[in-house]
Amino acid sequence: MSELAQPSAGIVVALVLSAVLFTTGLVGFLVRRNMILMFLCTELMLQAAALAFIAFGKMRGDTGGQVFVIFILTVAAAEAALALGLVVLLYRRRETLSAEAWQELHE
Amino acid sequence: MTPWYVAAAIAAAGLVMVLRPGRVALRRAGAVIGLAGFAMLMGFGLRLAGASATSASTPLALAVATVGVIGAVRVITHTRPVFAAIYFVLTVISAATIFLMLEAEFLAFALVIVYAGAILITYMFVLMLAHQSPEDEIGRIGAEDYDRVPREPLVAVFLGFFLLAALGSVIERVPPMAADSAPSASIRTTDAMVQAQQRLPGMQAADGVPADQPDNVHVVGLDLVARYPASLELAGVILLMAMFGAVVLARRQIELGEDERRKAAGMGGMVLDLPENERGGA
Amino acid sequence: MTLPSLMLASVLAAASGDAAGHGSLADAPIVAATAAPELAWVGWVLALPALSAVACVLLAMLRVRNKLPAAATVLALGGAFALILKLYLSRGPNAAPVIVHLWDWMNFGWGGGDWKSFQADVSLYIDSLTLLWMLFVTGLGTLIALFASEYMESERGPGYARFFFGVSIFLLAMACLVMADNLVLLYLGWEGVGLASYLLIGFYYRKPSAVAAAKKAFIMNRVGDLGLAVGIWLIWVNYGTVEYGELFQKLAVGGSDQGGWDRSLIPFCLMLGAFGKSAQLPLFTWLPDAMEGPTPVSALIHAATMVTAGVYLIARMQPLFMLHPDAMTTVAWVGGITALVSATIGMAQYDIKRVFAYSTVSQLGYMFMGLGVGTAFGAAYHVFTHAFFKALLFLTAGAVMHGFAGQLDLRRLSGVRKVPGFGIVSWTMLVGCLWLAAFPYSAGFFSKDLILVQAMSKPQFQILGWLSLATAALTAYYTFRVWFRVCAGPVSYVPGEEAHGDHGHDDHGSQHHDDHGHAFHPHPPRLAMNGVLLLICLGAILAGIPGIQALRGQHNWVQEMVYASTAVRAAGVDHVTTPVAFGMDPHKVVSVFGIAASLGGIAIALWLHLLDRRMADRIRTALLSNGLTRWLPVAMENKWYFDEIYHALFRLPLWVASHLLHFFDRHFIDGVLVNGVGRVPTVLGRLFQPLYNGALQGYATTMAGGVILVLAWVAWRWLGAGGAA
Repeated sequence: MSELAQPSAGIVVALVLSAVLFTTGLVGFLVRRNMILMFLCTELMLQAAALAFIAFGKMRGDTGGQVFVIFILTVAAAEAALALGLVVLLYRRRETLSAEAWQELHE
Repeated sequence: MTPWYVAAAIAAAGLVMVLRPGRVALRRAGAVIGLAGFAMLMGFGLRLAGASATSASTPLALAVATVGVIGAVRVITHTRPVFAAIYFVLTVISAATIFLMLEAEFLAFALVIVYAGAILITYMFVLMLAHQSPEDEIGRIGAEDYDRVPREPLVAVFLGFFLLAALGSVIERVPPMAADSAPSASIRTTDAMVQAQQRLPGMQAADGVPADQPDNVHVVGLDLVARYPASLELAGVILLMAMFGAVVLARRQIELGEDERRKAAGMGGMVLDLPENERGGA
Repeated sequence: MTLPSLMLASVLAAASGDAAGHGSLADAPIVAATAAPELAWVGWVLALPALSAVACVLLAMLRVRNKLPAAATVLALGGAFALILKLYLSRGPNAAPVIVHLWDWMNFGWGGGDWKSFQADVSLYIDSLTLLWMLFVTGLGTLIALFASEYMESERGPGYARFFFGVSIFLLAMACLVMADNLVLLYLGWEGVGLASYLLIGFYYRKPSAVAAAKKAFIMNRVGDLGLAVGIWLIWVNYGTVEYGELFQKLAVGGSDQGGWDRSLIPFCLMLGAFGKSAQLPLFTWLPDAMEGPTPVSALIHAATMVTAGVYLIARMQPLFMLHPDAMTTVAWVGGITALVSATIGMAQYDIKRVFAYSTVSQLGYMFMGLGVGTAFGAAYHVFTHAFFKALLFLTAGAVMHGFAGQLDLRRLSGVRKVPGFGIVSWTMLVGCLWLAAFPYSAGFFSKDLILVQAMSKPQFQILGWLSLATAALTAYYTFRVWFRVCAGPVSYVPGEEAHGDHGHDDHGSQHHDDHGHAFHPHPPRLAMNGVLLLICLGAILAGIPGIQALRGQHNWVQEMVYASTAVRAAGVDHVTTPVAFGMDPHKVVSVFGIAASLGGIAIALWLHLLDRRMADRIRTALLSNGLTRWLPVAMENKWYFDEIYHALFRLPLWVASHLLHFFDRHFIDGVLVNGVGRVPTVLGRLFQPLYNGALQGYATTMAGGVILVLAWVAWRWLGAGGAA
């Protein structure tokens, strides 16, 4: 029991890694101009979330965390399929992957 | 609380230096500073866990995490998208390793197969399909302008610094599991094991043959279908819808005239009360 | 003139002390109402008019152009009358009240105990007062619907069905009002008769004056209805119930001391409602204008039945009117003054229907005075007799109007009696006039006498008694002014505006060829109208029987019915405190004066309007030429300027206030508040427009910043809270 009172080293490593990965993904989403890579950065953030789920699940001794990661995988796959489909469409129209090519949409 | 901000600030400073295009030496220095910041973050985290929590596998975990972070930073800094995607695979693999260390074996392999195997391959396909890297005067393969120059890195990193610091503060406050207030993790796990033993075929002890110990795959699988059946169905619906969406999006777009559009909407016979010059072309 | 009065005095001498005989009856304790589920068939009294209303709508939708709507309505109302008659015969005049529960309507409860529930069901409270009212309401309703079937025949088609729909709705609402066992259902009926009245006054909706009259009636009634609604609310607040049975039990057990300080407001609120519906001061000006409706409507709604709802309300709620000592006195004075004022206005009107309308207001004033001075029997009996003779008068006026193409000006009609086909009309009108003028031994005489006796025999009301005697003389005068002008004298008439109009005679082209330029032929009433006139005339004559019985000191059915109801039992009214006036038997004194007033009025009318018709004009000119007396005829002909006073007092301030508010709304609410607030987003939008640059990551930066702020706030709060842990 007593070893459960504090998170173990592996869990802490996973949590810190998760935080850093998420931050990196966010920064990447903001700095990259390539639409495909922007989506790749969102995958990075999903990755970080999955890590946090696994870590907290391990900490609480609950397999529910792992089950949730399965759903994250599902959503990530669906998102990738749709997002890439959209990117392909956009690319066909402008012949570029730059997000700034669509800046005039705000009008 | 404050140490997190210091560490996050150091890491952020390193990241800014890495992000800015320009002198290679500066970027390398940035990488070193960023890694130092990451190390500080890890150090604070481990001090939080206490010396008793560390085990023999901790150095390995730290190494794997560092590799993962390097991969992630390369994903957002590499000027050539294909390489960025490959670095993403590196990150996925290191995450899967952490999964393995956290006894999530099934998901570790699922992550590698689904992410590195399926999703990343899709990304690669699309990148290849949509992207012809331009060549410079001397025939070297270069990068597009929009891949080379990051967009407002200072603002983004400033935000990231705040996010990291806040997340660190949260990690610091992850509540220790007091034995009386929290459900005992071992009891839960044992419970899941016992359930798996009782409900899965081949697990029951019979005729003096000792029962198999249910492993991670058994437990997660049982959890998935027994505890979250509705979510499972929903996940199926999401995948189905994504497939429909992809099919619709991938079709070739045909420009329709006014009359065809009306016909498609089932109003072919209707005569709209429009002046002649405002009717759609047909 | 002395001979008949002596004869009457001898009759009355034998009849002295009748009031004392009823003391025991009136003293009997209030009888609790019992549930009578076996009488559920009485619900058909409500259902039959409703069915005929539906039938009229259907017939209008089917574009039926015959008299089927009238047939349906007459059948339904006749059926309702038969049911009421059956109920009356099976119960007798003074049976204990019963409650017939039809179905639940409102039944709320929030916790137990008093004031924690509100119940108002569709239930019927049947006691003798209900039956008395329902008898003449349904009976006269049937007869007048029959009359209207011929009278309205030029409207055949949608208008015909619309008319009978209105009549059916009216009967439904009136039955609901009279038979309700709680005040909420009564209020429903109260508003329902108001609606029917509005619809029927505005029947000729293409005529601006009819529309204005309908609106006026509706709005003035709203003022009274507000009083009634507040009164009902106060009753619930003070006694926790709106059902008659429970309410009267509480009042009988607890006396007038229970309830809060505002209980003494209840009678005044109810009074306001009654004054509005029954056209008493200050809310009486709508009734004369209501004559814009078809005449059968005037006869049914604005003379015989609906306007007596106020009398019914006060008679029914007698126990509540004991809550304040001045309540009944107020009723008496308002009634007496209304009677006098409207009689003076009636003297100077030239429109026959308006004369009768003012006489209705005046007679209603008598009824309220009767209630106020303490004779619910006299008031109810006057309602009863008045219903007959006033309906008769209006119907005869309608017959004249029908026959002379809408002519109602009594200066342009003369000698109608001698016009072929108008004999029955003239003679029945004479009966109505005699009854209204309280000619000795007529029903109107008896009922008015009962009220005057009560007023005269109570010292505090003696002035009122004298005023009423003066009113009686005026009534006799203006009533016979109409009859002598219209029915007597040499034959001469000017047809009304409808002679060449689109309706009137086109339907009878085979009988009269009224093409343009041809001479006008009066258009005498036929079987339905004449028959109804004769029947109502018979009713008016028979209505005098209870009066004779009352004077003889015998119990009669009207009296028994009133005494058996809550109107008397709970309140203990109808005691003649001093059965002596001027040292004599009050009946003798009053009847002598009453007969004198009546005959005097008739005689003056005979002189001024038959024997020497120019004399009236000479008097008028003389009055007008003298500066001191000039105001009298002018004011009387202008209805004492009541409409103008109301205009100055209410409409003008409202008009000014509404324009001020309109200005305020336009320039402050719309200009400053609405448009000013509307400009804020525009300004803010201009301020933030640069952020909206279309760059995807720009939005993402903002969003991430927001998320991080929220996260930081959550972490900070969490840390702050968890620091102690």
